[in-house]
Amino acid sequence: MSQATILSVRDLRVELRSRRGSFVLTADALDLCARETLVILGPNGSGKSTLMRVLAGLERPVGGKVTSAATGPVTMVFQRPAPLAGSVVHNVRVAFLGKKRSGAELRDRIDEALARFQIDHLAQHRAATLSGGELRRLALARAFALRPAVLLLDEPFAGLDAEGQAALSLDLRRAISDTGVAVAMVTHDLRRAMLIADRIAVLIDGRLAQVGRRDDVIEKPSTPEIARVVGMTNLVQGVVVKERRGDCALVEIDARHRIATRTGLAPGTRVWVGIRPEYLKVDVGRGDVDPIGKGVVREVVNDGVAITVQLDWAGTELRTYLMAGRGLARTLRAGVPVSLSASPEHVHLIPVASNGSAAASDASRRAL
Amino acid sequence: MNPPSIGLLIEITARTLAVCLPALVISLAVGLPIGIAVGRRRFAGRGALVSLINTGMGAPPVVVGLLVYLALERNGPFGNLAWLYSGQAMILAQLLIALPLVVGITLAAVGSLDEDWELQVRTLGVPPRWRLWLLVREIRLSLLAAVITALGGILSEVGAVQMVGGNIEGETRVLTTAILMYTQMGEFEHALGSAAVLIGLMLVLTGLLTAVQQSGRA
Amino acid sequence: MLRSSSREREAGVSSAPAMTRSQFLPLLLGALVALACSDRRPEEGDLLLVTTTSVRDSGLLAALLPAFQQRTGIRPQVVAVGSGAALRMGIDGNADVLLTHAPDGERELVASGAAVSRTPIMENYFVIAGPPEDPAQVRDADSPADAIRRIAETPAPFVSRGDDSGTHRREVALLKEADLDPAGGWTGFASSGAGMGQTLQIAGERRAYVLSDLGTFLAFRERTGLVSLSEPTPSLRNVYSVLRVNPNRLEPARAKRAEQFEAFLLEADTQRRIAEFGRERFGRQLFLPLHLDPRARP
Repeated sequence: MSQATILSVRDLRVELRSRRGSFVLTADALDLCARETLVILGPNGSGKSTLMRVLAGLERPVGGKVTSAATGPVTMVFQRPAPLAGSVVHNVRVAFLGKKRSGAELRDRIDEALARFQIDHLAQHRAATLSGGELRRLALARAFALRPAVLLLDEPFAGLDAEGQAALSLDLRRAISDTGVAVAMVTHDLRRAMLIADRIAVLIDGRLAQVGRRDDVIEKPSTPEIARVVGMTNLVQGVVVKERRGDCALVEIDARHRIATRTGLAPGTRVWVGIRPEYLKVDVGRGDVDPIGKGVVREVVNDGVAITVQLDWAGTELRTYLMAGRGLARTLRAGVPVSLSASPEHVHLIPVASNGSAAASDASRRAL
Repeated sequence: MNPPSIGLLIEITARTLAVCLPALVISLAVGLPIGIAVGRRRFAGRGALVSLINTGMGAPPVVVGLLVYLALERNGPFGNLAWLYSGQAMILAQLLIALPLVVGITLAAVGSLDEDWELQVRTLGVPPRWRLWLLVREIRLSLLAAVITALGGILSEVGAVQMVGGNIEGETRVLTTAILMYTQMGEFEHALGSAAVLIGLMLVLTGLLTAVQQSGRA
Repeated sequence: MLRSSSREREAGVSSAPAMTRSQFLPLLLGALVALACSDRRPEEGDLLLVTTTSVRDSGLLAALLPAFQQRTGIRPQVVAVGSGAALRMGIDGNADVLLTHAPDGERELVASGAAVSRTPIMENYFVIAGPPEDPAQVRDADSPADAIRRIAETPAPFVSRGDDSGTHRREVALLKEADLDPAGGWTGFASSGAGMGQTLQIAGERRAYVLSDLGTFLAFRERTGLVSLSEPTPSLRNVYSVLRVNPNRLEPARAKRAEQFEAFLLEADTQRRIAEFGRERFGRQLFLPLHLDPRARP
């Protein structure tokens, strides 16, 4: 990843007024570097699309500024691309209206872009007859035909079936790495984000809440709200205690449950304990290293690829994933007692905010 | 009463076209830009303007005729133009009948595009002039519908042109007023003859436009 | 309709819930259709009276018909068209009784057997109207034909009805008397093909001469700014007659009602009303009844 900043946002403030009320988006600092992919995550209505439009220059901020060091086009692919009247080729050629390009170059670029997104066989079809997935590919092909310096993608996988998402995300990843374009992408699909993102920015209620390298944000979210957005769904409150286990600190959930962690916080700190589902291990036997106690299976859901297991533990509900087909998967069913464990380096602590957000934390604990 | 000759019928038909086509062309020249502008932009008072246009689309032509009459009569605000009972008055009345239709249909066509259609084209770096071209291209079928609707409306209109044109032989008599007159005179053969020409005219003109529209769709 | 109204009653009597929209719409439509039909269907006691427009537009019919309806129970349907069209409706059997002012055409209708009687009821005089400045000096004309000749020779604008109405027929007669082409043909001659009111308005806009019946001329005098330039001479005499359509062509009941209407117009009381008509609105008599005792004339 190069360090050259290509798009930079400082002290941004955007106000949108609509019939439903007004909406404010703020972001202190957000940079997009050359050749990197930044994924913007956030719940619905958190301002992701608005931020996209600001970056694309389609929305004017009331405060702060967006500076661009891009030497090529900055373009955006919308969540619902609108087909223009005419063929697929025409729809791509439209991007070159008013730009002087030789016919041969134009043809090469269009052919290359259509092939990149595997819609070259649809070149002469009317765009209006394309399926939702084909239309998305057309919009991406058109954007790539422009050879952009910055590509802004608003929910590029929304509305596609799982297979379509998987196929498109692979093509998109290849196109991004082939061209080296800097990408900012909005999504609420965590798995696609993980596949593509170099860095992740999280928006909560119109505020840029956290931005950083992908693994930092995913494994060390700074608030429980962010934790939920990045998929750290196992959240439970506790207090850091004096005793230690080896070189690990211990967090007491209740009288019978303690969890070891490598996160260093002063004893007595009230914390949220966060464990990503994929790091929560479950076993029907005696329990493993790093035990955190016994739980009971509440529900097992198998979608054919992965198995989601919901567990009751220490008066709260936890989740973990198993690969389908594993022997353990067959023995797990509702009511079965299990041993739970989590490696201390994967147990993340978030201090409970002492200010106004404590009430919000209570509310979110009830939601758990 | 002398029976109207074929020559007279041709003359009335020619005058019908001479009144309707300028009214149509002007209503398109004025109405399309207004419809596109109002359709693309958001501004204060837009809702009221759109309601006004929709009301205009449904305005009874005789009311338009009455207003034009009152505006053009000798003691009216535009009396010194001396347009009453002339072709200009008929063109003006038909223009006012056609204009809301053209604006309204154009407006609806622009409105039926995706909310962020304009932004999507803008983010491709398409210059404003070309964006307008793309927009017109995108709604061209609706624009043809606007032409057909407006033409049908003014070609078949009789109340307003009778009021402001006066059905004067050789000056302001058009097919619809001739049909009305012949019917009131009991000259049903002549009324039917004129009616046949009028129907034929509408069939040919709207047929041509519909053919263009269908070929555009393919 | 019967069925839907009984259904409505049921809905009202039973404790049925409020009428749903799916029930309401057919009921509404049914009611509308019934309303439209009831107005169209001629009922017992009707009479199809076809008259020239001036009789209706002057308000004379509205002043006379209530008395007729009250006395006989007959409610005439009035169709007001140009006299030419009225006579044609008589020929085609689309009328029971006619009230027109085109003597020659009326006589032909009787001669052809389509009508059985022609009874003059009242008269007045056509008016040659024009702008007060009178560029063709029609005021000094010896006769109506001379007046028309002056207009044609000036040449001054003239607006013809051109619609085969009684007034138009009189125009044609005057043009012929003046040895002019019945289609006019001089610069400024225009044919409106419209009713009297609009023709007068066109003449007013163009500061043109025009031949009009007295009632409509008076009604539009202020609006057009035209003045009367003619004297009531015999060649401008305008006689309104009632014609009964041949009873062979009618249902007997209708033929009888047509007779009743004819008799009504000839009654002394009706004739007095005709004589009185117009004084209130125009300050002068509009129609001179022809069957009133001379001593009783106002």
